[in-house]
Order: sequence, then C-alpha cells, then structure tokens
Amino acid sequence: MKSSKALFLEVGGILAAVVTALICGFVVILLTSSEPFTAISALLLDPLSSTFNIGTILNKAVPLILTGLALSVVFQSGVFSMGAEGQLYIGAFVGALAAIYLPAMSPWIHFPLVIVCALLGGALFGMIPGVLKAYLNANEIVTTLMLNFVAILTTSYFVNNQLKAASGGGYAKMENISKDLLLPKIFPGMAAHAGIIIAVVAVIVVYLLMYKTSIGYELRLVGKNGHFARYGGIATRKVIVVSVMISGALAGLAGIVEVLGIHGTFKENFSASLGFDGIIIALLARNHPVGVLIAALFYAYIQVGAQTMQFGSDMPREVAVIIQVMLVLLVSAQAIFTYIKQRYARSGQKAVK
Amino acid sequence: MVWQTIWGQIVDLSLVAVLLRLMTPILLASLGGLISDIGGVINIGLEGLMLMSAFTSIAVGSSTGNWAVGVLAGVATSVLISYGMGFFSLKMKVDIIITGFAVNIFGSGFTIFLMSKLYGMTGNYSPTGAPRIPVVNIPFIEDVPVLGKLLSGHSLMVWIALLSVAFCMFLIYRTPYGVHLRSVGEAPYAAQSLGIPAKRIQYSALAWSGAFAGLAGAFMSNGLTNMFVKDMTAGTGFLALAVVLLGNRNPIGILLGSLIFGLASALATIVQTVPNSPIPSQFIQMIPYVVTIAALVFFALRNKRRLATMP
Repeated sequence: MKSSKALFLEVGGILAAVVTALICGFVVILLTSSEPFTAISALLLDPLSSTFNIGTILNKAVPLILTGLALSVVFQSGVFSMGAEGQLYIGAFVGALAAIYLPAMSPWIHFPLVIVCALLGGALFGMIPGVLKAYLNANEIVTTLMLNFVAILTTSYFVNNQLKAASGGGYAKMENISKDLLLPKIFPGMAAHAGIIIAVVAVIVVYLLMYKTSIGYELRLVGKNGHFARYGGIATRKVIVVSVMISGALAGLAGIVEVLGIHGTFKENFSASLGFDGIIIALLARNHPVGVLIAALFYAYIQVGAQTMQFGSDMPREVAVIIQVMLVLLVSAQAIFTYIKQRYARSGQKAVK
Repeated sequence: MVWQTIWGQIVDLSLVAVLLRLMTPILLASLGGLISDIGGVINIGLEGLMLMSAFTSIAVGSSTGNWAVGVLAGVATSVLISYGMGFFSLKMKVDIIITGFAVNIFGSGFTIFLMSKLYGMTGNYSPTGAPRIPVVNIPFIEDVPVLGKLLSGHSLMVWIALLSVAFCMFLIYRTPYGVHLRSVGEAPYAAQSLGIPAKRIQYSALAWSGAFAGLAGAFMSNGLTNMFVKDMTAGTGFLALAVVLLGNRNPIGILLGSLIFGLASALATIVQTVPNSPIPSQFIQMIPYVVTIAALVFFALRNKRRLATMP
C-alpha cells in the first residue's frame, strides 16, 4: 500500500515536525528575549532580505547537501556511520595536495584530477570502517567516531609541520591553491559559488545510482533486510563496503568543494562539524536524495537566520540548536509516524465499508 | 629533552597525579556508558550530558559558594536530561543512537546559549572564587615519602571515581537489579515475559549513565579547571564509548582502558608543553583512538574464532 497517499502522510508528518520544532524555538525566544518579535523576524526574514544572504544560504547548503547525500547512502544500507567528518577531512586533504603539488597543467585536466583525488581519498578512508563492519562486525559507530579523530589529528599534524604555508601568518594551513582551480562565483557580485552546481549534479547522480541501478537496489535491500538479501544471493558484505565507500567519496567531495569554494586552501579544523550536520540532513530527508536537497537548503536557511538574528537582536545564534534538536527528535519519532499511519489506515477501512 | 621531562615526571611521581586527574572524567563517563550499554540502551549522548553538567555545576557552585551543591545540581541536570532521552527513545521510539546524537548537539549549543544569556560570555565563563572540589590529604600518609605522593593530595572526585568501579561491579554482578539489567540488555522481550519491567529498567540504566556522566562533567569544570569553556569535554564522551568496548564491557577492564587513555593524554600534555619536541603531540593524542580500533578488531577476531570452534 505504498501509494502517493502514504508519501503524502510521510511528508505531511515531516512538515508538522518542522513547524513544531520552529515553534519550540520561538517559545524559547519569547521566554528569554527582551525583543522577541525583532528576534523572530530577524531569524525568519533577514536571511531572504538580500542577495548576499541568499548566496550565503546556498554556500552553506553545498557541503550540507553533499554530506547529507553521503550519510543517506550509508544509512540506506543499514550502517550507522558517523564518519563523514573524518572522510571529509581526508578527501579535502588529498584533493588539496593534488591541487597544490601536481605539476602545472591546464585547469581543464587539473580540476577533474583534484576532484577525483578527493573522491578517492574519502572512499579509501571510508573503506576502513566498512571492512571492519562487514567482515569483523566491529561496531561502526565507535570505529567511525575514532577514525574522525585520527583524520583530524593526522591532517592537523601535516598542516602544522611539513605542509605549513610559510606565508600563513601563524595559521596552520597549506599554500594557497591556484586561482584557476578555485570555484568561481555563479554570478559576478553574488556570494554563491559554483559548488551548488556540483551539489545538484551529485543529487541527480545519487538518485540514479540508488533507484535506477542494480547496486542501488542491492544496497537498499541489504539495509531493509540483510538476511533476506543474503538468502537472495546478494554479497551483503561487499555491498556494505561499497556503500561506505560511496559515502566516503561524497563526504570527500564535500570537503574539497568547501576548500575550493570558501577557504581557498586546506586549513586546520576548517569543517565546523559539517559531517555531523549531514546526519541531521539525512534524517530529515528520510535518506532520499531529493529530500536531502530540500532539507539542506532549509537547514542552511535556519543557520543563516540564526546569524542574522544574533546580528539584529539580543539573542545568541545558539537558539537554532533548540530548533535543530527538536527537528531531529520529532522527525525520527517513529511512534508519531506509526500513529499517523494507523489513524489513516483505520479511516481508510471505514471508507471501504 | 622530552624524554628527560617524561622521565623526570615519572621519577618524582607527578605523572601519577596527572594521570589520575586526567583519567577520572574518562573513567566516570565510561562507567555511565557501561551501565546503559549493559541495559541495551547505548548512550552516545555522554558528551552532551557532561557539558550540561559541567556548566550547571560551576554556575550553581559559584552562585551558592558551595561545591557540593554545584556538583549535585550538575548531576541532577544530567539525570533529568537522561530521563528526557528515555522519554524520546522508549516512548516516542526515536532510535537511541539518534537520541544521543541530539543530546550531544543540545549540550554543546545550549551551554553556549545559557552562558551568553546569563553571563554575556561566548567563549568561556570563569567566575572568581568558584569553590573547587576539595583535595583529600590523608594524615600521616601524606608525610611518607613515596606513598604520600601516590595516595595523598588527589581530588575527592578521583576517589569517587575509583570507588565507583567497585560500586558498579557490585551493582551489575551482585544485586537483583544487576541481573535484571543484564537480562534486559541481552533479551528485552524474554525479560519482559518473565515479569521484569524492561522499560523501567532501561529508564533507570539511562539515569545511571546520566549520573556518572554528570559527575564526570562536574569534575571537569569544578575540579580540573575551575571554569567552563565551550565544548570543554572535547570528545571525552566519545572516548568513553570507546573505553566501554575496549574494556570488554566490564568495570575492571574499563578502569584499565581509562588508565591507557589517561596516560596518552598526560603524555600528550607533556609533549605539547616541551618546545621543539621530536614526537608530534598529535600522534600521541591519536594513541587512544588507534588502540580502540585495534581492540575492537581483536575482540571481533576472538569472537569469530569462538563461533567457529563451537560445536
């Protein structure tokens, strides 16, 4: 009975959760702010008030879309990876190395090479927890969390020592990447960079991969019912490793796009937990690529709203955390969604009689 | 230079003091993680719980002028949030991992929110004259040359942490509650069918983990540093999760695991403070994480062999 009505109920439930989470945020603002209505309007309206802010929303959404995709792929195969953060660092690091240290060549060849290096870096780093999970059944939550620290500390070591830019002025970062390789602005004068195009392409590719290819089918089947998939002749272990590698590649892509679009070079600790935000995006989107796109734009809008609110009122931007937490909890509350579906099923039966 | 400093600290036993101090929050948080893990409700929200407790503890402690009130308030906050976790995961059927994840975001953001709303600070809050968790000086023993340095002069919370290991041993393996806890963790439906109130046990397991995480957090703000810094736990809650697995899910193993992690961070601190050290501090900081992954692989291989040799 997976019909358009079931989809409608699901989307309706998610929207209701979003509204409830926003209301929770408003209540906190009403209780703690001396100018609550200024704060709320700064939160909701200011992000859309200028092209600069809209550009910032797009820029913030780019890494969120990519990490959201990364996690939606791996969640669909039933692996609860929290490793996007580490894979993002390794991908960005390897990509930045390729951008800075490869011999001079035409940017038309160099740029794709950089992207491929980032994808490979993330994928290979993702392979470690994938293999540990698939062949040794090691708890992927703990291994990915540990590997995040390994990735962050290793890259931090290199940018503090061998690869530190002499012109960095005390900051731990690599040499600046050549201007030819950086992502240009979409429109001159607007803040948004071309990463959003890469992100949208990634959404389409992941959609096709997950829903139109056999590997995507196998991946989803393993996530839904591993025993059945194995009984049906699917090499479940291989599928798990592949899904974690795809996820790692997407996280690596998020890292290099962030480096090429925003920072201009690899900096120590440049990702303010983008990999973890990706988990929220994937949950909101119910692991669907198109949902990821929408959820990431919404999430970026709230983040920019929190900043404009901090700027335009007496509320700190951390209020957005309350909205985020309630979003995560309400959207994943299976009890509520089961209840909605049961209500619907019951009323449906009555209609038949 | 580094080796001399480390050797010097080993010889004059100051390394032991540093080690115990750094081990304590990891140990307490891991014991909390252990109890919830055994009860089948993996609590990955330890990090957020610790932050909330750390903030509450120093805020209440400095405003009342009493460290004990501060610590109790911190623990109470942490337990309260754990009950909230129980509500969302057991009643609203949110995946327990996601619940813990949400608590981590909440703890990190909400403490900064409170800090800026209450004190107008965004980075750290260090009240002047905040009371500290007292140091235990044992009479007579403190004057004995080696023994004095080994046993005396540690924070009260170090002793509480060590006693907590014994307490957890007792609670898990020697009480009816412990039997119920383990059976609910192993097979919740079987336990339920025998009349064990599985949900209530899981609520209580979360509450215990909240209490221990609360002690750990309170020690970080009121004992280790006497201030609150945003995100001051810096991954200790995640380390604690690793220690639970590294210690093979028993309190003594967890004590050993915490010692390894404490030692690594003590060495990293020494290396960081010595100029021009030949060993990069990042690699020493990495030891616990790599050891944990190695231990997971080791346990997994052992389990596999055990399964293979079963008749």
